[in-house]
Amino acid sequence: MITEVNEKEYESLDHSVPMLIEFYSKTCGPCKMLAFVLKDIAKQKPDFPIYIIDFDENRELKERLGVKGFPTMLFFKDGKEVSRLEGLKQKPAIIKAIEAIA
Amino acid sequence: MSTKVRYISEDHLITRQNRAEREFLAAFKAEKPTFAAPKVVVNPYLINPLCALVMFTTPTAVAPTLTVHGKRFERENLTHAFKAATEHFLPVLGLYEDFANTVTVSLPGGETTTLTIQTGKLPEDVCRCQNIQATLDYLGDNIMFLTPAGKNLPTAYDYKGDIRWMLTENTMFDIKRMKNGNIVTGSSRFCHMPYNSTGMIEINLLGKIYKEYRMPGNYHHDHFEMEDGNLLALTQDFFRETVEDMCVLIDRNTGDILKTWDYRKVLPMDVGGSGSQDAHDWFHNNAVWYDKKTHSLTLSGRHQDAVINIDYETGDLNWVIGDPEGWPQELVDKYFFKPVGDLSRFDWQYEQHACVICPNGDVMCFDNGQYRAKSKEKYIDNRDNFSRGVRYCIDTEKMEIEQVWQYGKERGQEFFSPYICNVEFYAEGHYMIHSGGIGRESGYAAKGLGAFLDADDPNVELRSITVEEKDGVVLYQLETEGNFYRAEKLPLYHDGDNLVLGDGQLLGSLEVTEEFDTVPEAEEVFALPPSFHNLLIEEDEDRFVFHGRFEKGTLAMLCLENEQESHHYFINTAAVVHLAMCSGAFLEKDDRDVKMHVSKLGLNGVFKLKLIINDKKYQTGVTICCS
Repeated sequence: MITEVNEKEYESLDHSVPMLIEFYSKTCGPCKMLAFVLKDIAKQKPDFPIYIIDFDENRELKERLGVKGFPTMLFFKDGKEVSRLEGLKQKPAIIKAIEAIA
Repeated sequence: MSTKVRYISEDHLITRQNRAEREFLAAFKAEKPTFAAPKVVVNPYLINPLCALVMFTTPTAVAPTLTVHGKRFERENLTHAFKAATEHFLPVLGLYEDFANTVTVSLPGGETTTLTIQTGKLPEDVCRCQNIQATLDYLGDNIMFLTPAGKNLPTAYDYKGDIRWMLTENTMFDIKRMKNGNIVTGSSRFCHMPYNSTGMIEINLLGKIYKEYRMPGNYHHDHFEMEDGNLLALTQDFFRETVEDMCVLIDRNTGDILKTWDYRKVLPMDVGGSGSQDAHDWFHNNAVWYDKKTHSLTLSGRHQDAVINIDYETGDLNWVIGDPEGWPQELVDKYFFKPVGDLSRFDWQYEQHACVICPNGDVMCFDNGQYRAKSKEKYIDNRDNFSRGVRYCIDTEKMEIEQVWQYGKERGQEFFSPYICNVEFYAEGHYMIHSGGIGRESGYAAKGLGAFLDADDPNVELRSITVEEKDGVVLYQLETEGNFYRAEKLPLYHDGDNLVLGDGQLLGSLEVTEEFDTVPEAEEVFALPPSFHNLLIEEDEDRFVFHGRFEKGTLAMLCLENEQESHHYFINTAAVVHLAMCSGAFLEKDDRDVKMHVSKLGLNGVFKLKLIINDKKYQTGVTICCS
């Protein structure tokens, strides 16, 4: 399941569950491609929460999480970042990271 | 809305040269030219406009001598004696441009034939000599070969600064003469940004390619001939996140990769970073040197300000030359050197190039000096900086290092090259120092690398200065326009076979280009893409290169389709910041212009090439044939 959230909505998420947070930009071709990859993954893993955040509109949050560019994927478990992937990645790499926390 | 797709299909240069050679050999067989009326082909291998081939037969085997006459006087003549034969194929090298060159061929009996070979003008943007200090006494038959660091061309200059050799192909990076007299340098065929080409080419000075050694991880920066003729070459694995951190040994006859060294197994990647380091290009290996005495490889890593030495067999780290600041103490204690001797003259090297092991074990390199510090707050501005050739004496027992020679510090910013360059050891006290990456803005050392400067700006000057010093005296200095990656002093003719007839070979293999397993939803339209995208597809025998223009943020994907299968390749249209640009040969002026190479390896069949741009899938009208 893919849900777009802003900073405020991010704060109110249940951080105790494993999740993938992706920072994207509307001005980024690789981010657009990654959107299709995540859509495929969401079909494969419908119960795993994927949240997408606009990099340009949520600057404070991205700075707090140390996100320097886009796309960046952060993998959280028990409220803590376990791993991150920077740049466009293919399905197997992302699924591997998800399976490590799910 | 106008639409247009340009398509060029061209055989590999080797195939074109093979064809050209067969044609002139067929004409030679048919015409049987005599010594008195030889057959002359100017630029026989298509890429060297300053050469020719003189062909004739003699009734008995004789050894001809060929002389390319100097422009000014006899002492400038280039003369070469060839082996005895009845069928003669004499390379004529070192012709002057746009000039009616006089060439004489003489036989041992005293007969002489005089030829006039007219050459044309060189391309307008060729890099000209600006200043030269040299004598025939010093240089003899040698000329200085410079390899390009941008869209300029490989060019060689004589003692007067006249261009006597040039290729119209943008071959790149290192250039070395092999033991058989051939030259090995980087191929001009684009593969991956920023400057990775398909591999290396072995050529003669007519420009004939004997072999292209293709490599799956491509070639960059440097290579080295081993005693058995095999080649060390710098490469990488594009299927992982880092680049410029591997070396391979290549079989000279087959092109097969025989051995691989991976520096990720040797060094931590996140320490000791130079000012140009990022996680992707953490080491930036720009030179390799094999030392027989210690059976080890010495490697220059620009982005760790480090020259490292590893065991040839095991790949284990032996030592590191570099400023230890920022390295873990346990590594400093084990592998780094302590400066000794006159410390007031000692400087570490920073962002260096071209490491060389001297016969006595000393280590030389070109110390570019970019940033000249490990921590940001101590970085030196380019205007206050210097580049130099430096030689260190190292004691690997005591782990001590002493600076025993340098040239360049005293010249300050005028000789400063933040990138590229090399040094050569000729003999004790006799060295070459090539500062080929000089960029100036309004008379000062520029802030950026030469490859990024706008050469059309009247305030910008790109320069290359090559110096030779003997016993502390400068005996040679060549200053040219443009930036040149390396310099190599060579005579045009050598004692081996200056031309071997027969087909050139394409060896080794490219990678299987990574496909994308997710395909974006896009509506197929039966039209060409808008002309804004300025599409060009260049098809070669073993790959094709796609060129297109895209606004940042465009979603783009190449599709190869036939009735049985489809293959998809993501096109990155994002802005890419390059912290290194050792060759700007493939750099586009407009950063919206992207290019992408797709290897045919692993593909079989005839495919329609289509292009997804955002939510539409366009036709290109181009068919790619892979067999």
